[in-house]
Amino acid sequence: MSRIRSISISFIHMLKFVKKDMMLLAAGVSPVMIGAAIRFGIPFIENLLVKYTGLPYVMEPYYGLIDILFAAITPVIFCFVAAMVILEEHDDHIDRYLFVTDLGRRGYYISRIIVPAVIAFVITAALLPIFGLSDQVVAVEVSLAIAGTLQGIIIALLVVTLSSNKLEGMALTKLSSLLMLGAVVPYIMPKPYSYILSFMPSFWTGMMINENNIVYMAACVAVSMVWIALLGIASKNK
Amino acid sequence: MRLRNLLIWDMRFQSRYGFYLLYTFLTLFYIVVLTAMPSSWRGYAAAVLIFSDPAAMGLFFMGAIVLLEKSQRITSFMAVAPLKAKEYVLSKVLSLNAIALVVAMILTLSAGGRNIVAVLVGTFMAGTLFTLCGVIVATKITSLNQFILATVPVEIVGFVPAILHLCGITPKSWGIYPANACMDLVAGREASMIGLVLCALIIAALFRASVGCVQKMWQEQGGVKI
Repeated sequence: MSRIRSISISFIHMLKFVKKDMMLLAAGVSPVMIGAAIRFGIPFIENLLVKYTGLPYVMEPYYGLIDILFAAITPVIFCFVAAMVILEEHDDHIDRYLFVTDLGRRGYYISRIIVPAVIAFVITAALLPIFGLSDQVVAVEVSLAIAGTLQGIIIALLVVTLSSNKLEGMALTKLSSLLMLGAVVPYIMPKPYSYILSFMPSFWTGMMINENNIVYMAACVAVSMVWIALLGIASKNK
Repeated sequence: MRLRNLLIWDMRFQSRYGFYLLYTFLTLFYIVVLTAMPSSWRGYAAAVLIFSDPAAMGLFFMGAIVLLEKSQRITSFMAVAPLKAKEYVLSKVLSLNAIALVVAMILTLSAGGRNIVAVLVGTFMAGTLFTLCGVIVATKITSLNQFILATVPVEIVGFVPAILHLCGITPKSWGIYPANACMDLVAGREASMIGLVLCALIIAALFRASVGCVQKMWQEQGGVKI
């Protein structure tokens, strides 16, 4: 009970921290704005492209792919903000003091990464049926939200584990955000060559939507868990 | 001489914090992506990649660079050194553009582009525009989160019209918009002369503004942590 209370206090402390820079407001509003831009902007651009090219469709076959990327955006934004806070606290030597309190190292990472990721999952699962472009069944939409959330956790852990200041953190964010692009691979690369990138969790999300087979979600979760376990071990040794 | 030393120092700083390594990885990744695409898409994709990444590098990283320099008290040293603010800004523009130009050339060649000179000129102009915007914003903020938020409007104004212009969605007459003129060059196409002149004028105005902002930052010398 004491651990849960510590995690709650630690999470509220982080919220107060990001509220100062208006980042809390921006992170809260941006999923809705991005969702609205996708829901209304993409079909509008599609109509223009169809008129311009004379083709029956241009972007429509990729609506599922756009949904995958939308499902990953909210968790990635939330986890990126959390990663920046962790780096700031590391530079200020605050984290090591928190580790020896009731919160502990595990509680610290739960309050900084897992709690924002869970909130991002709830928001994504709520927004995807509203702003999603492709008509998916509920199970697939929830799977996309889970896949996006796992992706956000992996990116945050990559940034936190491999960088020692915010500049390196920015560089790593840029590099690690490429992990999201694995979803594009099943659409543009033929088998078996596409399996070269099967180490990317988003590759399996792309497979799930492209081949309309939810079984691939199991592979996505398994690959994500390997990433999280390895990064968890690396962060302990940091 | 001062500019040359500053340029070398900036390049060493960028190398130490993994910029060259990062862009080696990114360039390899982009080459793989371009190779996997149908040949008819490669030119457009290369133009979008060059314009939105290496050319816009200054806009993405400048906040972190300036904040790190502040936290390491490098800006205090610069304030008392016989160094001019315009040399500091010029060094940032040239050092980041050096990476952008190399990446742009490699991506253009791998996409089968031929008009290399136009691509490099377009990348340099776009890179200068974005880096100067980055310098102006970076001198006014105290945390990286503030920088990330403050650059969003610049990204929207810079990227959205240019990408729409590249795809032919907006009218051709919009080629006079400076970002669109740069995008035309980056895509190896003929660019509007009015657009390029406007772009050069904006670069001159931004350079003047950024020099003023750097001078003000050096005078203030507030401590921030990164």
